[in-house]
Amino acid sequence: MSKIHLAQIGCVAKDELRYWSRSKLAISILTIGIVLTLSSVIVTAFKMHELSEIRHSMQETSEETFMEQPDRHPHRMVHYGHYAFRAPSPLSMLDPGVDAHTGNSIFLEGHRQNSAMFAEQEQSTGLTKMGSLSPAFIVQVIAPLLLILIGYSSVSRERESQTLSFILSQGTSIFTLIFGKGLALFFVVCLILLPLTISGVFAVLLGESLAIVGGFLAGYMMYLLVWVLVILLFSTLFSKKSESFTALTFAWILFCIAMPRIASSTASISVPTAGKLETDFAVIASLRKLGDGHNAQDPAFTKLKNSLLKRHGVDSIEKLPFNFRGAVASASEAELTAVLNQFAEDRMLQELQQTLVARLFGWLSPKVAIRSLSMISAGTSVETHHRFIRETEELRFRFVQSLNKAHMEKLSYRDDVNRNKGEEARKKASVSSTNWQMIQGFRFSPADATTRFTRSADAYAQLTLWIVFLLLFIGYTGRRVQ
Amino acid sequence: MNKHLIREWHFMLRQSYVLVLLLCGFLISSFSVLTGLSEIDSQRETIERLKTADQLDRAEAQDKHNAPGALAYYSFHLTYSAPSNLAFAALGERDIYPWKHRVRMLALEGQIYESDAQNPELAQAGKIDFAFVISALSPLLLILLFHDLFASERASGRHELLVTTTESSFALWGARVVVRLFAIFISLILPFYVGALINNVAMTDVLILSLWCLLYFIFWIALSLLIGRRESSAPRIASILIGFWALFTFVIPILGDLAINQSIHSPQGGEILLTQREAVNDAWDLPVQTTLNAFTATHPEYIGYKHENEGFDWGWYYAFQQVGDQVAEPLSIRYREAALKKHQRASFVTLLSPTLLIQKKMTRLAETDALAAMAYERRIREFHKTLRMTYYPWLFSADKFNKSNLDLLPQFDSTTSGTTYSRKNE
Repeated sequence: MSKIHLAQIGCVAKDELRYWSRSKLAISILTIGIVLTLSSVIVTAFKMHELSEIRHSMQETSEETFMEQPDRHPHRMVHYGHYAFRAPSPLSMLDPGVDAHTGNSIFLEGHRQNSAMFAEQEQSTGLTKMGSLSPAFIVQVIAPLLLILIGYSSVSRERESQTLSFILSQGTSIFTLIFGKGLALFFVVCLILLPLTISGVFAVLLGESLAIVGGFLAGYMMYLLVWVLVILLFSTLFSKKSESFTALTFAWILFCIAMPRIASSTASISVPTAGKLETDFAVIASLRKLGDGHNAQDPAFTKLKNSLLKRHGVDSIEKLPFNFRGAVASASEAELTAVLNQFAEDRMLQELQQTLVARLFGWLSPKVAIRSLSMISAGTSVETHHRFIRETEELRFRFVQSLNKAHMEKLSYRDDVNRNKGEEARKKASVSSTNWQMIQGFRFSPADATTRFTRSADAYAQLTLWIVFLLLFIGYTGRRVQ
Repeated sequence: MNKHLIREWHFMLRQSYVLVLLLCGFLISSFSVLTGLSEIDSQRETIERLKTADQLDRAEAQDKHNAPGALAYYSFHLTYSAPSNLAFAALGERDIYPWKHRVRMLALEGQIYESDAQNPELAQAGKIDFAFVISALSPLLLILLFHDLFASERASGRHELLVTTTESSFALWGARVVVRLFAIFISLILPFYVGALINNVAMTDVLILSLWCLLYFIFWIALSLLIGRRESSAPRIASILIGFWALFTFVIPILGDLAINQSIHSPQGGEILLTQREAVNDAWDLPVQTTLNAFTATHPEYIGYKHENEGFDWGWYYAFQQVGDQVAEPLSIRYREAALKKHQRASFVTLLSPTLLIQKKMTRLAETDALAAMAYERRIREFHKTLRMTYYPWLFSADKFNKSNLDLLPQFDSTTSGTTYSRKNE
């Protein structure tokens, strides 16, 4: 194997750049690439910023209206309920991921786990199903195509016009040539990634971890490097530039257009998931056994009653040092939540398994690999949505139980039982609105950096394998051509 | 003429890259039909399971309770939108909009936005259905097959020879185009025919869809040939054609989307819910008569109703549920109108892009588009109304109810259109 000279690689790269600068097509493609990336970065940044503002302000409004409620029966507040909004993560301005496809707000109330509502996509034009103006889409799908259009002929051109044997006979090794051309293409990759990097800096300023942003950008660098290598390989493999062009276009169609959807379809069929509606029936069946927490006379609570009476050494619930109805509400909410959580966890697990099947296709298509890597790092993958569901459930349980605690400790059993006996009795059966203050302070943020890195390890491995495999293949092909 | 076709057929079979393209097209199309069929099957099975479970659940609730108010509170009713026979070919928006819902007699605005959506990460990537294969993938295959029709002959130096020795230009180019068109058409659409046969799709639908596909293919071939005549280098021709493809598939839709979203402002969904919740919750503290007055303003037939007991009363409870819906109604209507308007403007954008156009035509025919989802929502609203109208007489005049009346409750029927919903007890 012949030696590779760094200086020579630089010369080849410079030559290739000069060749492009003379071609109108190459210049216009480069311009299109940079304009597209730049505009997608700007448009998406503004859009996500706006969404973030809206959701933060709605979160605040929701907390304020809750706290402004007058003194009343605490159980009224359990049903009054609360809203939680999913604030987008800083990196969502580069990859909005599933943000538009999942509901971004959730209504939290006693005795029920609601699903997230109002997915943006339901209120959209439906035009952007094929692709949207997000940096993620532009770099994952459009950038490889532009690289192909610029670079398809880098080596095959030299072969077709018989300049290759001339160059080789001058003492330049085939690998020097290939890597020189590769370096020129890599320069284009850097140009495309520049706007993303600037946006990444903003994400860090907004509080995103530096390591995650670095990993995110490195992932995209690896992905575009895969495409540079594919282009170099096909360009060396075929002796005619029209052939290398057709082959590369075909590879792009397969990897970027067909494979992600094939992955989704395969996943959805191989891991069928029951929707919430269906598992709700199982939930209802389990809940029937628990008894209705509104009805302290429900036989399901006899056991609770007896144990409480025994523990406090009294013979009737009126003599208990706290409100028995509040105790029942609290106990039944805890039991019910345990059941609901069990089903919710099962459902999320199924959904995650389905997603993992789709992500396996990253071994077959680098586009699928970078898609997972990008969404996981940005905190816009399905895991983040699950995190939102879990955190809001925790919030729901906390506020409901804190109200039940007030019900139990701050409202006497006698007043509570008499609450329907006229206006005066109703006023008496209430607690102070200071008890509503505990609602404050829900702010959603994605999982920490380490968790996200661990989740995206597979995707990094997939891209690395692609790079290694392509390098080996180029080595083999290069030796044959020489 | 036949001999030209046969000659070109044999010529095509000798070109391995053409065969690879055809085979890939056939495999991807088959895969899309296969997964589409299985998706639709599982949706149908889900609906069947839900129907059974729904009836059981309601029967149990009806066993347990006796007062009409409690019965209405504890019985849910399943509504659904069953996939059409053609849905396997165009899954459309069914992974975005809900197609199954359970509602009860409480305020509808608090229930109707619950969505039992499918895996969002899969929905974001989209599924590969036949409509996608035709609208987005087939142009690329056609470009690869047709862009170098002239250029490849020029490159190999045979172009002038062929042109001067052939008897007519159809004999040479026409026959080649027809043969390739036929081959790609068959390899892409054959799996669809098999799927259509399995799923009993109406013959007219199959014919209409075939015709659109054919026209769409002819459009792309004509464009390829037009550009192919002007340029000499095959990669250059293909680059320009792919540029057109990207224009129709990405650029026009994205720009259209930006423009439409700028021009139409929809209220936030959350606002509807907040408004509705405030109204329903305030009612607990308001004088009973205030709520009843607001209720009888839209339901004058219950003006005579007297609120009997001091505390809780079901009639009053359902009255303020309805008042909650009435208060939220203007917002809700604006929300729905904005969605519809966006959809209508988007239809104009599709006229600029054949790719969008054929997709829209296919999802419309298969009833899997946003319009179908909106129609389903209207059916739910109609159903809810029928449900209320059935219960109200029982709630507001206690003597009118006995438990055998429950047979009169409406059943959701996915085939009825929203407006023709009839009540059984009329």
